[in-house]
Amino acid sequence: MGLFDSWSDLFAAATPWQEVEAEAPKEEEEEKEDVKESKDDGEDGEVEEEEAEEEEEEEEEMVDPKEKFEEECKESKGCAPAKHHFEECVERVQGGENKKGPSEDCVEEFFHLAHCANQCAAPKLWASLK
Amino acid sequence: MLARSCLRSTRAVGAARNGVVNATKRAASSSSSSTANASSPFGLNLAGSAATAVAVGSMTWYYHLYGPELHAMTPAEEGLHPTKYPWEHIKWNKTYDHQALRRGFQVYQEVCASCHSLSRIPYRTLVGVTHTVDEAKVMAEENEYDSDPNDEGEIEKRPGKLSDYLPAPYKNDEAARAANNGALPPDLSLIVKARHGGCDYIFSLLTGYPEEPPAGAAVPDGLNFNPYFPGTGIAMARVLYNELVEYEDGTPASTSQMAKDVVEFLNWSAEPEMDQRKKMGMKVLVISTALFALSVWVKRYKWSPIKTRKLTYTSPTGGRRPGRH
Repeated sequence: MGLFDSWSDLFAAATPWQEVEAEAPKEEEEEKEDVKESKDDGEDGEVEEEEAEEEEEEEEEMVDPKEKFEEECKESKGCAPAKHHFEECVERVQGGENKKGPSEDCVEEFFHLAHCANQCAAPKLWASLK
Repeated sequence: MLARSCLRSTRAVGAARNGVVNATKRAASSSSSSTANASSPFGLNLAGSAATAVAVGSMTWYYHLYGPELHAMTPAEEGLHPTKYPWEHIKWNKTYDHQALRRGFQVYQEVCASCHSLSRIPYRTLVGVTHTVDEAKVMAEENEYDSDPNDEGEIEKRPGKLSDYLPAPYKNDEAARAANNGALPPDLSLIVKARHGGCDYIFSLLTGYPEEPPAGAAVPDGLNFNPYFPGTGIAMARVLYNELVEYEDGTPASTSQMAKDVVEFLNWSAEPEMDQRKKMGMKVLVISTALFALSVWVKRYKWSPIKTRKLTYTSPTGGRRPGRH
């Protein structure tokens, strides 16, 4: 066990990620509180800024980044064929041109468009999320 | 297609035969010294190309008949396959983002827990992962659990302890079905492992509700359209909306942010050992590499006298042969 522990200690020292403590010692908590307090002190300025940001966001009614990026992607050149097909299908179904045939839905076209938009938006979305 | 290729091939064969006949006639009529070999390449070429055409044609026909994959289900029944997202914690040398886990637990408690249980997670497992001991104790004490029978055999209620499991929203599955229009909200403890696509699927499902179903799609009563759910009709309505939850760390609570956090938390609840497992994997790699190198060295060391020895044979000098002696 000793060998293993020493290995793991060595390893923990060498690895960039941190060890997560199960129990926070009291002293540290106090320190944390202090830190929190000091943070609070320091945050006053930040809080105002944040509030200002929040107000702006509230005014704009926070847009979900996923929806934003997907809208952009749907308009992009890469998804133009899928969008075209989808819109054509919607027109066809809503126009009721093929009333004789079996009823049609645009689920498949919607899938293709959504797949294209998601594929394009995924990396941008992850870059914007925390 | 078969008929066409067959026709073409018979025509080609006919042409080839004509060519061959003509060629032989020509060879016979022209009484030159050139043999049949000299004039036959044309005929051979024709025959060869005809055979190739037949072969290619039959292969095309076969592939046309049996090549394409058959699908028993329509795309709508299959559901839209989720997009692969670049999750940080899935990379092989990364851990969970524990701040995200904490936010995800908050989302679970404030949003999901009203319908979904998380029956395999006791409060003690949250300690050191998302919360400190004291926070976890406070959360556990907010719930009541059955205590041991007292002197009169009555079972009283007691406040929760760290060893208690997260309370379920319904008493049993039947109660859950009755409250949800017949649909059972699944337990979320292992949901990431239990669904194809795992994290990607659940994230897509939570954020993928379109504003309105596409034209012509039939959505039965009591169901909602979600492209990612197989069959597209899901009993769960969209639950995550912007700013539904107020994060204590001030992260803007957009729909996708909440979905991302709660999915990471659910992945933790399905694989709480992941951080430890990756660390152990790293140790295994390092130690076994060292041991392997050592074993290679030992082998070379032990074999070096055998590998470097030189065998020589000096034939006995003199005219006499051995054996005659």
